[in-house]
Amino acid sequence: MARIELNHVNVTFSLRKTTRVTLKEYLLKGLFLTSVNPVVAIHALNDLSFTLVEGERLGVIGHNGAGKSTMLKMLAGVYAPNSGTRIVEGSICSLFDIAVGFEGEANGWDNITFRGYLQGETPRTLKAKRQEIADFSELGDFLNIPVRYYSAGMLVRLAFAIATATEPEVLLVDEVLSVGDMAFVAKAKERMRQMMRKSSLMVLVSHDLESVQEFCTRALWMEHGRVKLDGSPKDVVAAYQASVAAAA
Amino acid sequence: MFQQLSAVWKFRYFWLSLVRMDLYTRYRRSFLGIGWSLLTPLAMTGIFCVVFSTLNGSNWKDYAQQTLAALAAWEFLRNTLVSGCKSFIQNEAYIRLSPLPFGIYPLRTVMGNSIHFFITLGVLVALVAFLGSVYIQPTIWLVAPAVLMMMLFGWGIATIAAFATTYFHDVSHLIEVSAQAFFFLTPIIYPPSLLINQSLGWLVEVNPVYVFIELIREPLVAGKIPRLDRYAYAAGLTAASLGLAMGTIAWLQKRVVFQL
Repeated sequence: MARIELNHVNVTFSLRKTTRVTLKEYLLKGLFLTSVNPVVAIHALNDLSFTLVEGERLGVIGHNGAGKSTMLKMLAGVYAPNSGTRIVEGSICSLFDIAVGFEGEANGWDNITFRGYLQGETPRTLKAKRQEIADFSELGDFLNIPVRYYSAGMLVRLAFAIATATEPEVLLVDEVLSVGDMAFVAKAKERMRQMMRKSSLMVLVSHDLESVQEFCTRALWMEHGRVKLDGSPKDVVAAYQASVAAAA
Repeated sequence: MFQQLSAVWKFRYFWLSLVRMDLYTRYRRSFLGIGWSLLTPLAMTGIFCVVFSTLNGSNWKDYAQQTLAALAAWEFLRNTLVSGCKSFIQNEAYIRLSPLPFGIYPLRTVMGNSIHFFITLGVLVALVAFLGSVYIQPTIWLVAPAVLMMMLFGWGIATIAAFATTYFHDVSHLIEVSAQAFFFLTPIIYPPSLLINQSLGWLVEVNPVYVFIELIREPLVAGKIPRLDRYAYAAGLTAASLGLAMGTIAWLQKRVVFQL
């Protein structure tokens, strides 16, 4: 059973205004130097609590910097909460930052292998999927050259094909639909629809209010790391649009 | 600890394929390919032999084997630490993508360096077989536990250094400078008697690099069974290094991503 449960989750980034702290500053701090480089705490997620059960598809909307992507990374386990509890049950597939984490010197086929293993595949399960991934990416002979020669669009095609080759229970998506050329976008949207139907639980972060209403059963409007409104996609999108219109 | 190790094992296909790729790309555009891994230690030993046999006229055959054995272990530990300390920074993309066990990034470096170590070891075995005064003795099998301990020790220190470097980038430069100094403190290009005669024998005995050098050199080159207390010391070092590394992972694994 796939399930997500967040209880009073807080995530705070401690950043420094200029650069990172040096070893010298760390050691001398408090002796006679006053820090010229104070810590700035950014409260990215503030007391976040909600529960998602099997079958629910959550759409997350809000302004840039509202904490949407941070929430997704926290759900994926990349960021740990500073306080509160995070429970995610079920195998996770995350579709964010999909174009990073490629080995530039290795060719497309090898990168399919690395990414496949990264997603928890084994040589046996991957063998069956390799051709399918290659076909979906439509990269053909380009798969034989190192990926550092790829264009941004080609890289995204490959990344998308690999990332969506799994059959996850929990699907975490951060606006990946705007990828590649027009033909590929249509194909990618179709694949996303299939995945969303198959996965038992989904969180979709998007600025595309239409797809939120199309795919989701529930929507969350976030502002400054907090939940502003939680409800049916129709109501939440309407409220969000009204607030944007009022501000303009 | 076992949780961390089993997680590392679970993702073995991932890091093993990266190790394979590192090896392949390193020599992708070179004419000699992996032959460079073979040539480097050979050339180093050759140079040392010429220099030192002219300086003190000692038996160059023995000297070649002694030095190559010492260099192999030294190069492995030094390179593991120097490149391992940057392993989180270099693998940042993976760390931001997926919550994998942190041990696998230094392990990628350790495994890569191990391959070069084993190539050098192969050269050394050939050298002992053809030029050695004792040839190959059954004690050669005692090299295996020593090498295993050395690899685990290297994994531990590389992991600790990787955390330290992520927090303070200065550490990687400190390590490089210290390694330079450590090279001359360790009996690699000179016999240990040089330090022992200066009543600095304790310095030799506590040196972790020297312990691993001797545990490999004694059974292979001299055909002797190493002293038991050396094994005990090496095992202690390995356990301490791994324990500290696991402790550091447990302590910082949830926070290190914010430092990248």
